[in-house]
Amino acid sequence: MTDLCISFHKGGGRKLPVIDAANLSLDQRQAVGIVGESGSGKTMLCRALIGTLPRHGAETVSGTVHFDGQELAGASERVWRGIRGREIGYIPQSSLAGLNPVLTVETQLVESITAVGSLSRQEARQEAFALLERVQIPRAQQVLKARAHQLSGGMRQRVMIAAAIAQGPKLLIADEPTTALDVTIQREILSLITQLRQELNMALILVSHDLAVIEEVCDNVMVMYAGASVEAGPVEALSKAPRHPYTRALRVSRVDRAVPGQDLEAIPGDAASVGSWPAGCRFWPRCALADDDCRRDPQPALMPTAQQLSACIHPERIPELEL
Amino acid sequence: MAALTSEAEEKLQPDAITGPLLEGKDITVTFGRGAEAFDAVRAANVTVDGGEAVGIVGESGSGKTTLARTLVGLQRPSAGEVRLEGQKVFSAAAEQGMPRSERWKTQMIFQDPYSSLNPRMRVWQAVAEAVQVWQELPGAEARVEALRLLNSMGISDDQARQFPKSLSGGQRQRVSVARALAPNPKVLIADEPTSSIDQSAQAQLLNLLRRLQAERGLAIIFISHDLGLVRYLTSRVYVMQTGDIVETGKTQAVLERPQHAYTRLLIDSIPGR
Repeated sequence: MTDLCISFHKGGGRKLPVIDAANLSLDQRQAVGIVGESGSGKTMLCRALIGTLPRHGAETVSGTVHFDGQELAGASERVWRGIRGREIGYIPQSSLAGLNPVLTVETQLVESITAVGSLSRQEARQEAFALLERVQIPRAQQVLKARAHQLSGGMRQRVMIAAAIAQGPKLLIADEPTTALDVTIQREILSLITQLRQELNMALILVSHDLAVIEEVCDNVMVMYAGASVEAGPVEALSKAPRHPYTRALRVSRVDRAVPGQDLEAIPGDAASVGSWPAGCRFWPRCALADDDCRRDPQPALMPTAQQLSACIHPERIPELEL
Repeated sequence: MAALTSEAEEKLQPDAITGPLLEGKDITVTFGRGAEAFDAVRAANVTVDGGEAVGIVGESGSGKTTLARTLVGLQRPSAGEVRLEGQKVFSAAAEQGMPRSERWKTQMIFQDPYSSLNPRMRVWQAVAEAVQVWQELPGAEARVEALRLLNSMGISDDQARQFPKSLSGGQRQRVSVARALAPNPKVLIADEPTSSIDQSAQAQLLNLLRRLQAERGLAIIFISHDLGLVRYLTSRVYVMQTGDIVETGKTQAVLERPQHAYTRLLIDSIPGR
């Protein structure tokens, strides 16, 4: 994905940019995490990758999305039908909203499976059962007959994962898959995703607001702030020596590293919201290192540093982390 | 952000009360009847001293929110009683809720600040309303006091004129803290206060809450599934599982040497461990 720009349609032909400099690349079987706050554009990025932007009143304005030799930016719905589910599986943010409340789990899974078209209903039913076993659902036969409200949050998320992998995609996109779940269930779901990725040789894009979750599951990470990629690289590099002040701030403001009785190193101010991005680097109003150069347009592009890419024009000024 | 000072500060200092400031004794909350009945909280004993920060940790369904709602008088217990400064203020037998003369002492903030603020009221109005109710000030003075409380939470006069929808999650949560502080409470119960706000705003809120506790002597009960937060902010902790308190003690000791299998499971589940 190169320099992707996405805008919402507003009345009268006007457009509201939500993403204007997103860059991401991943190889087969690789796992990359996308971290960012609400409004940073991570969910819109996912929608661009499964071709559902138009349904949400948005479109790709410029930039490219290469997937397995195909250009997907601006692809037709017909092209997307061959990609969505088959090549790219998707686990949405809310597993409750993702399931139809009036249909049984079996009906919905069979629907995902028969979308490929080569299986009979009977075969599809057997496949649905196998899928539930694959996502480690106990008493799979009973769960097949259940409806969404009868299942716990963790179970529903497992069903969503089963649907996402039903057609054996090469890439799985999981948008905040554990956000509403308890920590113990979160741990189980993350292990399951990791295991499936290995068994099925899938690449993974995991979206989360929690850097710790991404560090646990992914090889690489891309940090988004206000519609732009601000840092990208190996998880290790970004956790040990972040080269963008925002990434560093995310790490030092974390409560699990803080000393009781001392203030946390908070990021001052509030995140730049869609429609009111500042000129220049979008993080400058909250950045202690910013100078006049940072306030000049455009938002800086990702540039190589020692082990990663950073959109900060003064990466050498960023203090080392005290570990 | 402005320093947190007010004339009410003295009132908040833990005075000569002997025994805990707030106490829940043998609290059981049963929902449903007959075969459907289940105990959301079973015979829970909780104490909070003046100025102390205490954590209640558990997962969804553990009963931690129900227990907290009982402590502030929002949920009648099926058995047991709530005591404030040594006085019984709420129990299964109470015909009415917790008396108004006691309710101001315990205030609560919730997980989702958006749903607890009236969307059609400007931010300052939401706080002024609480000031009028509790401090019985006339409108103009209530407005001044509301703005003072909001400023001390890092909300500018300009932001105070907005409606809640124009504020970020972190700002909204600071507004709900300002509102909760209107009656100068002795105990603030914070139910998962950071779970709906972005990480960069979490630190701001936690710093504020920590200062309220350290500098004004406000007792705080943190309800959370996040052990990192509880480790940082509290000195004592209760661990709840399906209605029971399964472990309690000094936070550091509990986290370093958990005795109960469930506490160990919670600790092991923290991402990055």
